[in-house]
Amino acid sequence: MRKISLALICFLLLVTCCSQPERAPEEVRVRLASEPETLSPIGYSDAGALQIINLIFQSLLSADLGTNEIKPFLASEMPTVTREDSATLFTYTIREEARWSNGTPVTAMDVAFTLKVAKAPLLNNESLKPQLEFIRDIKIDSENPKRFTFVCAGYAPEMELLTGDFFILPAYLFDPENLLQHIRVAALSRDPSELENDKKLKAFAAKFNTPAYGRDSNLLQGSGGYTLEHWENGRYLTLKRKKDWWGKTSNTQHLTANPQRISFQVIPDITTALLALNNRQLDLLENIPAAEFEQLKQSKQFLKDYSLHAPDAFEFVYAGINTRSSRFLDKRTRQALAYLLDTRNLIKVSHQSYATPTVGVIPPSIRKFYNDSLQSYSYHPDKAKKLLSESGWTWENNGWYKITNGRKERLAIVVSYRAGNTNFENAAVIFQQNAAKAGIPVQVQAMEGSLLSQQSKEHQFDVFFRSLSGNPFAFNFKPLLHTSYAEKGGLNYTGFGTPESDSILDRISTTVTSEAELATLLKRLQAIMHDEAAFIPLYYVKERVAIHRRFTNTKVSGLKPNYDVSAFTLTAE
Amino acid sequence: MLLYLFRRILLVIPAFWALATLVFLLSRLLPGSFAEERVLQSDAGFYNKSDAASREAAYTAYLKKSGQTLPLFYISISPDNIPDTLSQIFPEARRQQLQQLAFKHGSWEDVAAYDEALERFINPLTPSIKSKVSSQLQVIRFSHEKTEIAGALTTIQKKIAELGAPQNYYNELTLAFNTLSKNSEPYSFLLPELRWNGLENQYHQWLSAIIKGDAGSSYRTSRPVSEMLWEAIANTFWLLFGSMLLTMALGLLLSIQMSRGKMAWLRRLSLPALFVLDSIPMFVLALLLLVLLANPNFLQLFPVYGMGYYQAPDLSYLQRTAQWLQFMALPITCLVLVNLPYITNQIYSALQAALHANYAQTARAKGLKEVAVIRRHALPNALLPIITLTSDFLPALVDGSIIIETVFAIPGTGRLLVESVLARDYPVLVAIVVLVLAVRMLAYALAEGGYAWADPRIKQELS
Amino acid sequence: MSLLWQKISGVWQSKLGFKVSASYLLLLLAIVLLLPWLPLPFAPNHLDLDYTSVKPFSERAWASGHILGTDTLGRDLASNLLYGARTAFFIAFPVISLATLLGTALGVVAGFYHHQGAKLLRYQALFYLLAGIAFLYYSVYVPAKSIKLGLGTSPAGYALLTFFSLVIVLWIVCRFLLAKVTCFRRVWVLPADAVIMRFVESLSTVPRFVLILVLAAFLPPSVPLLSLLLIFTMWPASARLARAEMLRIKQLSYFEAALSIGSPTIRLLWHHAFPNLIGPVLIAYIFGLGGLLTLESTLSFLNIGVPGTLVSWGRTISSIRTNTAAWWLVVLPGSLLSITVLALYTCGHYLSKILTAKA
Repeated sequence: MRKISLALICFLLLVTCCSQPERAPEEVRVRLASEPETLSPIGYSDAGALQIINLIFQSLLSADLGTNEIKPFLASEMPTVTREDSATLFTYTIREEARWSNGTPVTAMDVAFTLKVAKAPLLNNESLKPQLEFIRDIKIDSENPKRFTFVCAGYAPEMELLTGDFFILPAYLFDPENLLQHIRVAALSRDPSELENDKKLKAFAAKFNTPAYGRDSNLLQGSGGYTLEHWENGRYLTLKRKKDWWGKTSNTQHLTANPQRISFQVIPDITTALLALNNRQLDLLENIPAAEFEQLKQSKQFLKDYSLHAPDAFEFVYAGINTRSSRFLDKRTRQALAYLLDTRNLIKVSHQSYATPTVGVIPPSIRKFYNDSLQSYSYHPDKAKKLLSESGWTWENNGWYKITNGRKERLAIVVSYRAGNTNFENAAVIFQQNAAKAGIPVQVQAMEGSLLSQQSKEHQFDVFFRSLSGNPFAFNFKPLLHTSYAEKGGLNYTGFGTPESDSILDRISTTVTSEAELATLLKRLQAIMHDEAAFIPLYYVKERVAIHRRFTNTKVSGLKPNYDVSAFTLTAE
Repeated sequence: MLLYLFRRILLVIPAFWALATLVFLLSRLLPGSFAEERVLQSDAGFYNKSDAASREAAYTAYLKKSGQTLPLFYISISPDNIPDTLSQIFPEARRQQLQQLAFKHGSWEDVAAYDEALERFINPLTPSIKSKVSSQLQVIRFSHEKTEIAGALTTIQKKIAELGAPQNYYNELTLAFNTLSKNSEPYSFLLPELRWNGLENQYHQWLSAIIKGDAGSSYRTSRPVSEMLWEAIANTFWLLFGSMLLTMALGLLLSIQMSRGKMAWLRRLSLPALFVLDSIPMFVLALLLLVLLANPNFLQLFPVYGMGYYQAPDLSYLQRTAQWLQFMALPITCLVLVNLPYITNQIYSALQAALHANYAQTARAKGLKEVAVIRRHALPNALLPIITLTSDFLPALVDGSIIIETVFAIPGTGRLLVESVLARDYPVLVAIVVLVLAVRMLAYALAEGGYAWADPRIKQELS
Repeated sequence: MSLLWQKISGVWQSKLGFKVSASYLLLLLAIVLLLPWLPLPFAPNHLDLDYTSVKPFSERAWASGHILGTDTLGRDLASNLLYGARTAFFIAFPVISLATLLGTALGVVAGFYHHQGAKLLRYQALFYLLAGIAFLYYSVYVPAKSIKLGLGTSPAGYALLTFFSLVIVLWIVCRFLLAKVTCFRRVWVLPADAVIMRFVESLSTVPRFVLILVLAAFLPPSVPLLSLLLIFTMWPASARLARAEMLRIKQLSYFEAALSIGSPTIRLLWHHAFPNLIGPVLIAYIFGLGGLLTLESTLSFLNIGVPGTLVSWGRTISSIRTNTAAWWLVVLPGSLLSITVLALYTCGHYLSKILTAKA
C-alpha cells in the first residue's frame, strides 16, 4: 500500500516540476478550430484548408487583404475581357518569373491541366466541378506559352473573379506520365460520359484519388512561397518557407512569404484556445467571443504583448419571411413583424458592440453602394399594431384574426433557426417576447442545419434567421433575390421580388458597366427590399482578432481569414 | 477452462456479426448524407458560384463513383418499389414528389415515365408561357394528389390552346399521367414487396471487404478508415488505460482504508467528498482544472493543450515519456476524478458485504489483524464486482473522453467519433462502433473467465 | 414494509445527514410542485433587456428587482433556478421511473429464466415471431416512411389498422388451427436470459453520449425525444442489476422451496422475489436520479438535444459562454445542482445501509 502512495507522490512531483514549452520567435503559431480534412487544392472543403492551401498554391487572381481588392497573383495583370454574343473571353498572361518548386516556369499548359482535373469524370472534384462549369474551353496562345484565353458561356459580372479563383496545379508533378494530355477541355465541357472508359484517365484517377494528393508533402508543391513541412494528424501542421522563392524577386507588394515557419495548431475548444493565447502559446486567434474580447481589452498585461483588431466583416444576419404564406402576403404585415425584431438589443446581447446594424444587403462599410438615406426598422410595437390593422387583421379574443379565402386565420408564427447557434437563438427569443407584447404568439423552433435548408427550399417555414457571407467585389444578387429563383428548390427562399427589383437585378447581372450606375441600382434595390420587408438584413458582424505585437504588416481585414499570415514581419526591437 | 473460454469467444462471433450488420444498416438509414451536405448544400452569397443543375450532376456522379446508388441490402421491402438509394439520382427538388407518388400509387415505372414526360414538356416552354401557368406548373411538379394534378393539367391545356403553343408534349404528359392513375394501387404500401437485389449491394461489398480486413475509406479524408482509427487509438489508449489503472488503484486504496475501523474519520470525510465530486459535471471539472492549473493569472503548472510539439524529435525514451506525462497530467487527473466516486463506492460496498459475511467474522474471531482480514479474506471475495466494473469501463471511457479530448485538444477516438457523426462520415462511424462492440464483447467473455478464476464455485459449474 | 418505515424513522432521528438531506429534498419537491402558484416577480423566460448580466445583490440588482441577478439575456436568475429545478425533476422522475420499470421487468425475466429458459409451445413462438415482424413493418416502417415523405398520418392509420386485424387473424390461426397439429405443440425453449443480456450488452456498447449526439445531429431537439432516448439508454443498467439480484434470490432457500412446490410464476415473482428486489432497485433509482440531473445539465450546457427555450440549470450555466465574467451564472445553479445531487446520494447511502443491514 505504501508503495502505491509513494509512486503516486513521485508521479505528482514529476508532473508539477514541468513548465511551458519554449517558443521560437520567427515562427507564427495560428489556431485551427478543426483539422483540415484534406489539403488537396481540388477537393478541399473547409476554411482552414483554404487558408493553408493559399500559402502553398496560388490562383490567377486573389484578394489582397491589405487593400480588400482583387489583385493578380499568378497572372501578371487583370484579364482582358471580350464579350461575344453567347460567350465571353478572358485573356490572361502568367507572370514571367513564376516558377514551380523544381524551377520550371508556370505555363498555360498547367492551367489547362488544372481545368482538366477539375472537370474530368471519375476524379474527386465534386466541389470544384460545378464552380467551373461555365468555363467551356481554354485557348493557348501559340506564340506565348504563358498566354491563354478562357472561353466562357454567357456573361455575368462575377465571371472575371471566378475565372481566376482556383488553384493552379503543377502538371509536371501531378501527371508526370502525361495521362491527361490527349484529353481536350472542350470535350470535357460537352458530354464527359464517353471518357469514363478512357484507360489513361482511369489510371490517373486511381492515382489522383488517393489521399496522398491531399496530404503528401512531396506532392503538395505549388508556386506559393511555402511547402508543407510536417503534418501530425489531429494535432498540428507546419509550413516552411521556400529557400529562394520567385515571388521575392518579383517586386510585387502583395506577393509575400515572410515568416520562416507557420504552424497551425488544432484546438477545437475556444476556451482552451483563449487560455493558450493567455499563455503566449499562440500568436494569433480569431473568432474571439465578444465578451472575452472586451475583457482582453481591459487587461494591460495582455495588451503589452498582443494587439486587438475588430475589422468590419462581410457576414450579415438576416430574417426571412415566407411571402407565399397567406398570412404574410401583405407587405404591411411583414413590415409590422420587422418593427418587432429589435436589432439594437439583439446586437447588445449577442455581440456587445461588435456588429453594425444595416438597412440593406450591402455592408455599411462600403459607403459608395450603401443606401444611408433609409431608416432601419427599430422596435416599435405601436407601429406594428397599426400596420397590422391596416393590412386587415382585427384584434379580438386576445389575438389577431383575418379572413382569407373564406377561412378565419389567426396570426401565429413559427420562427426557425439552425440549432446550436446562440445568436440566432437570441434573435428568436427576443422576437418572441416582442411579438407577444404585440399580441402575436410565436413558437421558437431550433432545427438541424440540413433540415432547415431543406424546409426553406420546400417553402415550409414562416420566419427564419440565417446568415450570409459576402465580399466587397461582386454584387450580383440575382440568384438570391430574383423571382425566377423563387420556385421550390430555388435559392430565393422568401419569395421576395417585384417587377422593378427583377429588372434591376437583370440589369446588374448583364449590362451595367459604370460604378455610378451600379450604385444607383443597388441603392434602389435596398430601398425596395426595405419596403417589401421579406428579406430583412439585421446587422453586419465585426470580426475579433488578437495578434502578437512582435509582428507588423499583419494586413488585418474583414475578409476571411482576416489577416495575411504570409505578410507578417518581425518588428525590429 | 481454456476450452470454455474458446467456446465462449466462438459464440461471440455470430452475435457480433448480427450487431455489426444492424449498425451498418442503421447508419445508412439515417437521414442526410455526406455528399448531400458537401455537394448539394450551397447557399448563395453575393454572387452565384455554381448553379443547382451542375451541382446536382456532380452529386449524382459522386454517388455512382462511390457505389452509393447500389441497393442497400440483398433484399428490399420498400412498398414504393424502389430502393431508397436509387431515388437519390433524381434532382433534389423533384425527389420528394416522385417518392410520394410512388408510395401512394404503387408503380415506380409509371412515376418515372411521368417525370420524364414532365421534363420534356416543361423544358421547351418559353418564360412568358411559364409565367402564365406558373401556379399550375407548381402543382404538377410538386403535388402528390392525383385530383389536384388532373385539375392543373386541364387548366394548362386550356391556356396552352389559347396561347397557341405546341400540343404534342402536352399530350405525352397527359398520357403518362393517365397511365399512372389507371395503374394506381392506392393502398399498395400495405403489402410489402420483397425484392431480391442480388450480390451487387452495399452491404455485400462492405461485408466482404471487412472480412478481408478492409474497413473502407473515410468520406472526409479519403484515407483508409483503419489507419485513422489506429492513429486515434494510439493517441488515447495510454490516456484511457492510465486513467483506468490509476482510478482502480486509488479506488482500492481508498476503500481498503475506509473499511478499517480506525479510519472512521477518513470514511466520514471522503464519502461526502466523493459524492460532491460526483455531482460536478465533467465539463465543469475539466474547465475548472484548466483555469486553475494552466493559467498564468493563477497557477501555471501544466501546458494547456495538445500532446507535445514537434521540436523535440531526438529525445530519449524517458524524456519523451516525461514530456508526454506533462501534457497528459490534466486530462488523466480529470478522468480519474470523474470516475473515482463511482468506482470507490462500488468497491467499498463490495468490501463491506464481504466483511459482514461469515468467513470474515470467523477470521476476525481467530484473532487475525484487521488489515489481514481485509486483504486475505474480504478482498478476494470482492473481486467479482471489480471484474465487472473493469469490463464496464471501456465504453464509459469513450463516453467521457469525448469531452476531455475536445477540451484538451487530443485527437482521440472520442473526437473522431463526434467529427464523423457531424460530417456523416459513415465508414468511420460504423468502424468505431463495431470496434468498440468487438472489444466490449471480448471483455465480457474475458470477464466471465475472470469470474471463474476468482471464484472456484463458478469454475466448477463451467467445467 | 412497516419494519422498513420504522428503520427509516430510526435513522431520521439518529443521523443528522439523512435528516438534513431528506428535508431539503422534501422542501425542494414541495416548491417544485407549488411553483406555478408562487408569487414570483418575473417569469423564467421573461427577457429584461435593460438589465442584462446583473450581478446578484448589487445596486442594480436591488433597483431592478432581480435580487439574484440576471443572465446575459436579462432573464431573472431566481425564477430560472426554481423553474430549472422543476424541469430537472419533471424530466428526471418520469425518465428514471420508466427506465427502472422496464429494466427491472426484463432483468427479472432474464434472471428467472437463467437456467431453464422460457418455455413456449411452438405455435405460440410462431405467433410471436410473425406478430413481431408485422409490428416492425406496419407500426414502425410504414408510419415512419409516410411521415418522412410528408404524406401525413392517414397511411400510418391504415397501416396500424392492418396490423391489428393481422394480429387477430394470426392469433386465431395459431390458436385454433396450428394448435391442433402435434408438431406445433412441442415445446420450444427460448433462451430468454441470453437474448436479453446480449441486447443489454450491445446497447451499452454504444456510449449514451454518442447516441444522443447522433440523434441530435438529425432531428430537431425536443423534450419528449430526449426523454425517450434517455430511457432507451438507461434501462440496461437496471436490467443488469435486477438480473443479478434475481439470480441471488433464486438461490435463497425459501424461494427454492416455493419453486419446487410449483407456485405459479407470477405469484412467485410478486410474493417472493419482489420484496427482496425492491431495496437494491430503490437505491439504484435514487443514484440514477442524481446522475440524470447532472446529465441533463451537461446536455443543456453543450446545447445538444435540449431545446433552447426549455428553462434549465444547464441553460443558465451555459450562458457563461457569452459572458465569462458572470461567475454567478455558474456558481448559483451549479451549487444548487451539486447540493441536490449530494442530498439524493446521501439519502441513497443511508437507505442502502438500512436495507443491507436488513438482509
